[in-house]
Amino acid sequence: MSQAKHFFEKHRKLAVLIGIGILIILPQLTRSNYIRGVLARIIVYATLASGLNIINGYSGQSCLGIVGFTCIGAYSGAILTTELGLPFLASLLITLLLCAAAGFVVSLPTLKLNGMFLSIITLGFSEMMRLTALNWQKLTNGPLGIKGIPNVELFGWKVKSGAPFYYLALVALLLVVFILNRLLKSRVGRAWIAIREDQDAARSLGVKVSHYRCVNFMTGAIICGTMGVFIAYYYRYVSPDMFSLDEGFNVLSMCVVGGSGTLFGPIAGAFVINLLTEGFRFASEWRMVMYAVLIITMMWVRPQGLFGAKDSVIAGQMSFWNFFAKKNKKKEDGDVNHIGG
Amino acid sequence: MSIILEAKGVSKHFGGLKAVEKVDMQVKEGSIFGIIGPNGAGKTTFFNLCSGTYKVTSGQILFGGQDITNLPPEEVAKKGLIRTFQNIKLFQYLSVLENVKVGCHINTRTSVFDAIFHTKTYHQDEEYATEKANRVLEEVGLTEYKDWKAGNLPYGYQRKVEIARALAAEPKVLLLDEPAAGMNPAETWSLLEFIQKIRDKGHTIVVIEHDMKFVMNLCDYIMVLSFGEKICEGTPDMVKNDKNVQEAYFGRGIIQKSNELNQEGA
Amino acid sequence: MYIIQQLINGLSQGSIYALMAIGYTLIVGVVGLITFAYGEMVMIGAMSAYLFYTFVCPNFFLGILVAFASSGIAGIFIHKVAYERFLEAPKHISLLCTVGCSILIKNVAQIAFGSQGNAMPMAFETKPFYLFGTDLYITTIHLAVIAIVLILSVGLSLFLHKTRVGLMLRAVSQDKMASSLVAINVKKVTLIGNIVGTGLGGVAGLLYGTYLTNVSTVFGTVVGLKAISACVLGGMTNIPGAALGAVLIGILENFGIALFTSSYRDIFAFIFVFIALTFRPEGLFVFQFGRKGKGGKKA
Repeated sequence: MSQAKHFFEKHRKLAVLIGIGILIILPQLTRSNYIRGVLARIIVYATLASGLNIINGYSGQSCLGIVGFTCIGAYSGAILTTELGLPFLASLLITLLLCAAAGFVVSLPTLKLNGMFLSIITLGFSEMMRLTALNWQKLTNGPLGIKGIPNVELFGWKVKSGAPFYYLALVALLLVVFILNRLLKSRVGRAWIAIREDQDAARSLGVKVSHYRCVNFMTGAIICGTMGVFIAYYYRYVSPDMFSLDEGFNVLSMCVVGGSGTLFGPIAGAFVINLLTEGFRFASEWRMVMYAVLIITMMWVRPQGLFGAKDSVIAGQMSFWNFFAKKNKKKEDGDVNHIGG
Repeated sequence: MSIILEAKGVSKHFGGLKAVEKVDMQVKEGSIFGIIGPNGAGKTTFFNLCSGTYKVTSGQILFGGQDITNLPPEEVAKKGLIRTFQNIKLFQYLSVLENVKVGCHINTRTSVFDAIFHTKTYHQDEEYATEKANRVLEEVGLTEYKDWKAGNLPYGYQRKVEIARALAAEPKVLLLDEPAAGMNPAETWSLLEFIQKIRDKGHTIVVIEHDMKFVMNLCDYIMVLSFGEKICEGTPDMVKNDKNVQEAYFGRGIIQKSNELNQEGA
Repeated sequence: MYIIQQLINGLSQGSIYALMAIGYTLIVGVVGLITFAYGEMVMIGAMSAYLFYTFVCPNFFLGILVAFASSGIAGIFIHKVAYERFLEAPKHISLLCTVGCSILIKNVAQIAFGSQGNAMPMAFETKPFYLFGTDLYITTIHLAVIAIVLILSVGLSLFLHKTRVGLMLRAVSQDKMASSLVAINVKKVTLIGNIVGTGLGGVAGLLYGTYLTNVSTVFGTVVGLKAISACVLGGMTNIPGAALGAVLIGILENFGIALFTSSYRDIFAFIFVFIALTFRPEGLFVFQFGRKGKGGKKA
């Protein structure tokens, strides 16, 4: 297992090409349109998780409510199509700008504060968006939702559900990952990582923390919001309960389980979580319980997630081996708290 | 030589506690200025005031003639005043080279747009950052460790990496907070020579230190703080022989006793 | 007149929120970690009181004890899972653990008891008292709620300032390292702080259910958010400030319902907090001198 990992780390480019190749042929491996639909959904969620990961994994902030932006994006896509008849790309662009503005506004209060505050604000924001969608009947049709979203049409070509939609989503995922990679390997990414690792040190070297946090959050908000449009076209229907906080925790668990702080982690997480969901169809009410247990287990055993950034503050100081070591130490520890942890 | 860093009547009160009280300081450009004093004297607090980490309760801080009082730390850094920390704040999980590259942030301009579209600015900045970081590491003598994780280096080297990172920002003034802490005599001596080399390159350096030999041998001018107030300043010789300084470090009782013993012996 | 009635309503609702905020702030202060599982603690208190009233006996005061105990026990669970190991780890780890706990508790409760609203059996009569011969009225519920919150707040204050355990709680909330150096068992003290905090939340849940005559397994999330918001408004570790912030939220909510529709009720609380944080990030009621600190506690 670790030999494979070693191989992949050394031959990065090759590994990436192999990965993309696998993703391209994946839908061809099955004849079932249902499975192709699931795969398409996985790709959409992988992109969503990548957006969340940029915030949670790269700037020391903790966003718990991206579902608010996805909600804005989905409703924006739905309304622009059904009410105004705008084509797919146009609504994508407008949604992008809308979510950028929303991301800017939401991040404002917390720029000067501890990164934990963002989690509170984003939760509140997401609930606000859901409640607005539920109650602003004139705009959103309230609890009934918006039905009848057509298929995506790109330059006259109808993108049907199943394999075609999968490839459309795959283009989005690859584009997003490509852009994020370029950002991370630049001065901007270095600033983000510096803020994540040690904020005071970063400031002492001239990194304007509030500015970079804002840019970071807007990036995540744009990605998550724009993918909301994809969600609208995928289900061809939007309603407020698709954007409850619990649904948002869905995406969060992908980042937590799959890994944060790396570009591959959220993609892996999307696969893992969605496959588990499919597997758990017979006991769907236990789905959320499963996510919860997974999140807690991950935090105990491997805080950075399966494929996350081991070399980062995200991983804490606990490794898998520490977990067992601490368990044995309990007996001698006695009552006094261990200074220094 | 002009005064590059100046503090005028700077005070910092935490409620009733006077951590720093009406301290004046004038640092000449190109010199090595030392700040010493017993524990709790307020030296690091004073540094924090100069670097913008704390807001002053009263007083002014001037950098190159400009008022930088209460500017946020990143603005102060941009003006050319870079500091290190008492308990080494390296990015533990990043490599040494990456650590130093962060130091190049101030002098590069790549924006989100530049990064995504790999514009000319992006390429220029990346070349500059890589080249500068490698050069600084070479000057510091740590090139062979550049791909090590910073947290894995021995303590003395970590300190050097932190200083290298600060140097990559091309500072006019370097504030070093207890750079020799935790070092053995050999490391301390090597650090002393290293700081002198930095000064010779044109940087001004302000050092907080406890190690007396280090300070006396290194600094051109010294300021002594005790309980937040300045009790003495001058050249190393002046400070060594000052009665107030001796009392602050050894206590009045011991000074009196030693004077009595000296008189009896004479 | 209508406005004053809403003020009275707001004060009652606000005092329920205040009890939650007090419990929450206590936890944040003593444990030093932010939690997102607090709403579920409130829910546990409400549901256990409902079950007690329905299946055992509708004694109001026993119900309070049941609510406190059940939420306190849940607090032990949260402590073991999310706090004990992570007191000195990076904060996001315990944060995500509490998120996991919140999802776990909420969904298990939903599976066990369903997500419908349940009518809260009234443990005492609801009698309105008309004031000064006007249309304004205060009911026994209003009085009970405000009275209980006041009693518990005073009790907490006495506990914190006049008992040895309370002294240890205050010491740990100020400086964990120093506390351990004077032989205080920091882990045990954080556990106690958590139990008291969640227990108070449980009682608040009982009051919430009594006030609204309705309990369910799903109201925890929103209510927990309000408790956190009130805590933040108070400046994070300021118990009286958090209580005040909570009362403000309650009053503003009720005015919002009066002016607009009730379905937007929760939005008012959030917008208020949002704006308050933008302009006064250190909290509304904080008069801090000294270091240029960001909001949030220094561990």
